[in-house]
Formats: sequence, structure tokens, C-alpha cells
Amino acid sequence: MNASDYIVEATGLEKRYRVHGRDIPAVRGIDLAVAAGEFVVLLGPSGAGKTTTLNMLGCLDKPAAGRLTVADNLVSGDGVRVSEARLDALRREHVGFVFSDFHLLPTLTAVENVALPLLWQDRRGDEWACELMTRVGLGHRLSHRPNELSGGEMQRVAIARALVNRPSLLLADEPTGNLDTRTRDEILHLLQELNGEGLTILLATHDRDLTDYAARVLHIQDGLLKEV
Amino acid sequence: MDWLMIAAKNVVRRPVRSLLTLAGVAIAVAMLFSLLEFQRGYEKGLRGELGQLGAHIMIVPRGCPYEAATIVLHGGKWPSYMQQQWYDIVKSTPGVAESTAIIMDAVIQDGGAKNTIYMGIDEDYPRLRPDWDYDSGGWFSSARSVILGASAAKSETASVGDEITISDGTRIPPTKLRVAGILKRTNTQDDGLIFLPQATLQSIFNLQGKLVVVLVKVTDVTRTDEVVERLRAASRQAQASMNVFPLSELLGTLTALLSSTKVFVLAIVVVALLVGGVGVLTTILMTVYERTQEIGMMKATGAGWLDIFRIVWLETLLLTVAGGFAGVGLALLSARGVVAVLRHVLPYAPNGFALGFSAQTFWLCIGASVVLGLAAGSYPAMRAASISPIAAIRGGSL
Repeated sequence: MNASDYIVEATGLEKRYRVHGRDIPAVRGIDLAVAAGEFVVLLGPSGAGKTTTLNMLGCLDKPAAGRLTVADNLVSGDGVRVSEARLDALRREHVGFVFSDFHLLPTLTAVENVALPLLWQDRRGDEWACELMTRVGLGHRLSHRPNELSGGEMQRVAIARALVNRPSLLLADEPTGNLDTRTRDEILHLLQELNGEGLTILLATHDRDLTDYAARVLHIQDGLLKEV
Repeated sequence: MDWLMIAAKNVVRRPVRSLLTLAGVAIAVAMLFSLLEFQRGYEKGLRGELGQLGAHIMIVPRGCPYEAATIVLHGGKWPSYMQQQWYDIVKSTPGVAESTAIIMDAVIQDGGAKNTIYMGIDEDYPRLRPDWDYDSGGWFSSARSVILGASAAKSETASVGDEITISDGTRIPPTKLRVAGILKRTNTQDDGLIFLPQATLQSIFNLQGKLVVVLVKVTDVTRTDEVVERLRAASRQAQASMNVFPLSELLGTLTALLSSTKVFVLAIVVVALLVGGVGVLTTILMTVYERTQEIGMMKATGAGWLDIFRIVWLETLLLTVAGGFAGVGLALLSARGVVAVLRHVLPYAPNGFALGFSAQTFWLCIGASVVLGLAAGSYPAMRAASISPIAAIRGGSL
């Protein structure tokens, strides 16, 4: 496989948090490569370093050490200093995020929430946002506000929002953490479908049941990664 | 969807808080608008009132000329008098085209509730008054006749040919006078006056040989100052206690007095604007704190420093500009009340004085609210834009 076939390539990635004057390692030198079109589940208990890893891969957080490339863009490496503005641009152009608690803006309608990231690119994409809403099965809920939607519907809106900038990589952090089992399965089927259409997905979860949906499972424990 | 829509939706998210903040700005802007329009309206009213006097120079007895001028403009009881023969000095001064001498007195009745002002005039007076015109009747038919201003005729319920009685009990015995004419309404002080032949008033009020003011029209307006100097010189030579001053000087002095008070009021308005600005800053900062996670989400989806700054700044601008418009509206709605209060408080307010609307003042107020928004929104916008996306998503502090 060529280097450019990988959406994410990480080598010796580290992250430490300073708590009460002490450095607490959250991620301890992980090596990871995610190829284009893969559906990878990052499995681990709470506090294992899943979210920290995801945040670094999604350019939300800077690694303390290690080399990281996202969509052929060097984000971290020896002597590499990437500006906040560059990280913003990388997220804008290549990454889509889905969180467990949706983070929808309550003042906007569902379709406006989906179209929001296009604003950062000074683009209007009302039609594209509507199309995505239909794609996630919410074509009939365009003008509903988040408080008028169920948990599953809100997560579908969040997935549509993550897709609106046509990302190379979708990062989902416990995307079913706040959903019941039936809705959880619906969301995972949707993610599977999107992966079938070529979208690269990296999903972090503590729920072993979710591993059934992925082609590849990575286990993370105490900041260390192990392929299962 | 656009930036403005997002900002507007955030502003209306907490309607009560936004309205209270907006009200703070509106009150400050209303004060600014009223102050600026007050200055404009006062000057306009004063200019109009002095213009209606139809004279270029005013001569009053020694004392404060401005107090004297306000009595001339609105009528009243005079504190001191000039001698009748001094009027001859005025008439014989070179450069004087026309002049008129006036004597004035007032009868206060019903414990001060009714104040009737009588003005003794000569035949030159109507020539200096540009809007002197009769509604009915005409000039004095005899020494025992009067001409009534429009409002005076109404309050006396008198028509031409009727008799009215002047009396204040002890000082003036009841004196009957016949109405010779009623003036058309001019919306000036003339409306409320009762005009008598000069000698008649002097006789009734026991003011023989006395005058209170002489109005002078010059032959060449550009040489008014020269005529003033000649009159002053003539007054000194005759040892007459006359106070001669051009009306332009009176206008200048009164507006200068007004300007000095304006600086003080403007300082209060600036403080009010600052308080309003701090209110806006606090409100926006509070909303930024409340929306930390939302800001984190926006950053996660690629929003940059400038994007977040722009949203918060726009919200602030919307609040203050809306406050600016509301403030101008408030000022216009309360204009009558403000004028009534000012008339009560100010020692002198011109008859035509009103708080109006000028485009210049309007845009200045809107401009002030924009500047207020830009200034008050900078800090919260900067705080919001500078937050780390990770800390924000976790709901951490700014």
C-alpha cells in the first residue's frame, strides 16, 4: 500500500496532561495507520486514551511527541510546528466529528445545523445539506429544532453535519453512548452504509458490541494500542 | 443561512436578558439624541424668537441684559426703568432706521395662577413686528382702548367693541378699556399680551415718563456694531443708564451658556453610554460562557479564530444597533415630555423650542451605538475565539 493510500498515519504518538504539577500520560507512543475506506473501531475502557487519540487524529489537539499525517498533511513530527489556523483548515477540509452528546445548536433547525460548517468556508450549501438530511433518513425533519428531535434523530443530524464538508475521515467518539440499543443499531447501520460508500471511519467506544460492525478493531488500554 | 442570521438567533435566544441589555443602550442613546436635538431646537427657537422681534439692537435699563432680554421676549414685571427722554437720544443717533419704545407691567391674580401682561406701545411698534396683523378691528381707536393678542382675547372672552377691566385691587383701581383690535395668532409671546397706548399704560400703572425697552432697527445691518457703539457713546454722554447690545450678541451669549451646560450633560450621557457598554459586555460575555461547548463544536467543525470572533462581534453589534434605533424612537416618543420638563427647569426657553428629528443627529446616534458595539464586543469575541477547542467541547472555562 502506498503512503498516500492512508488517511491517517501516526508513529510514536504521545500525549500528556499536567495535573497538579505532575505529567500524566494519556497516550503513550501509539503507532497507527488507517487506510482510505476503512472502518476501524478503537475499543477501550473509560480513561484508556480513546478520546485523546481521536482528538489528536482529528487535529483538535496537538501531540506531545510523535509523527502524525492526516490526509497527506504533516500535523506533527520532529521540528514541525503547525499553527492553530492550519489545524482549523485541516479540520474544515478533511475531518468530520461525531460526538456522543451531539452538540447541535438549539437555535438552529436541523438542516441549518447540518449546513453550519459550510459557513466557515463562506459557502452556501442548503441543497447539499437537505440532500444529506435525506441521506440520513431525516428528509421530513429539515426545519425541526433539536429539542423537537429524538436522540437517534439528533445523532443522525450530527452525522449529516460531519459529512457536509465531504471529509476524508469521520471520527466518531462514543456516537451511540447516549442512545438506546435499537437506535444504536440504526446509527451503526448508517455508518456502515456510509463506509460502504467509501467514507473512512474511526469510531471510539467502550462497547464491545460495536466491534461487529467494523472490519478492524484496535484495543487501547492505558494509552497503549493493540490490534485485536 | 448566513452570519447575521446565526448572530440574530443567538440574540433572541435569551429574550429578556437581551431586551434588558438593549434597554440600557436605548436609554443612553435616547439621552444623547435628546441632548443633541435640544441644542439644535433651542438655538432654532431662540433665533426664531429674536427674529420675530424685528430689531437688530435692544436697549434696556442697566442690569443683567440677559434677564432683561428674557422679560422682553416673554413679558413680565420689570425690575428697573429707563427715562422716556432717553428715547430721543436713540432716535437721533445716526444709523438708526426705525425704533420703538416699550413699557410693560403685569397684573398677578388668583394668587399667581393668572398673570396678565400689559405692554404699552407706540405707533412704531407694528412696523418692527414682521407678523403684526389683525384678525378683527385695528389700531387703538382712543387713548382708552386696547389691542388683544389671540390667546389674551380668548382668555378675556372679548371681541372688538367689548370692554375689559384692568384691576389688581389695591395698586390699580378698576379701569375699563374698549377692545379696538384682536391680533391674528402668531405663536409668539404677542399672543398672550394686552397692548395699550404707551401713555395710557404709564398713567394706569403710575409709570409716567418710564420705559423698559427700546428696540432699534439699523439702516445697514453690516454696520450694527458701529450703531451700537454710537448709542453707547450717546448714552454715556447723556449719563443715561442704558444697556445697549446687539441681538446677535444675545443669541451668542445664550447659546454659549447653553453649550457650557451641554458639556456637563454630555459627560453624563458618556457615562450612561459607558454603563450601557459595560452591560452589553457583561451580557455577551455571559452568553459566551454559556455556549462554551457550542463554540467548541464550531471549532471542531473547522471554525477559525476569525469565524468565532465574527459571530460574537455581530451579536454585540446587533444588540447595540437595535438599542440605538430603540433609543432614537424613545427620544422621539418622549420629546414632548422632555420639552415640558425643560421648560419648567430652564430659566428661559424660546416659545418655538421643540425636540425635533435631524438626519445628522440620527446617524450620529446610530454611529455611537455601532462604536459601542464594536468596543463592548471585542473582549468577549476575543475570549470566545481564543478558547482551545478541546477545553470548549469539555465545557471548560474560557
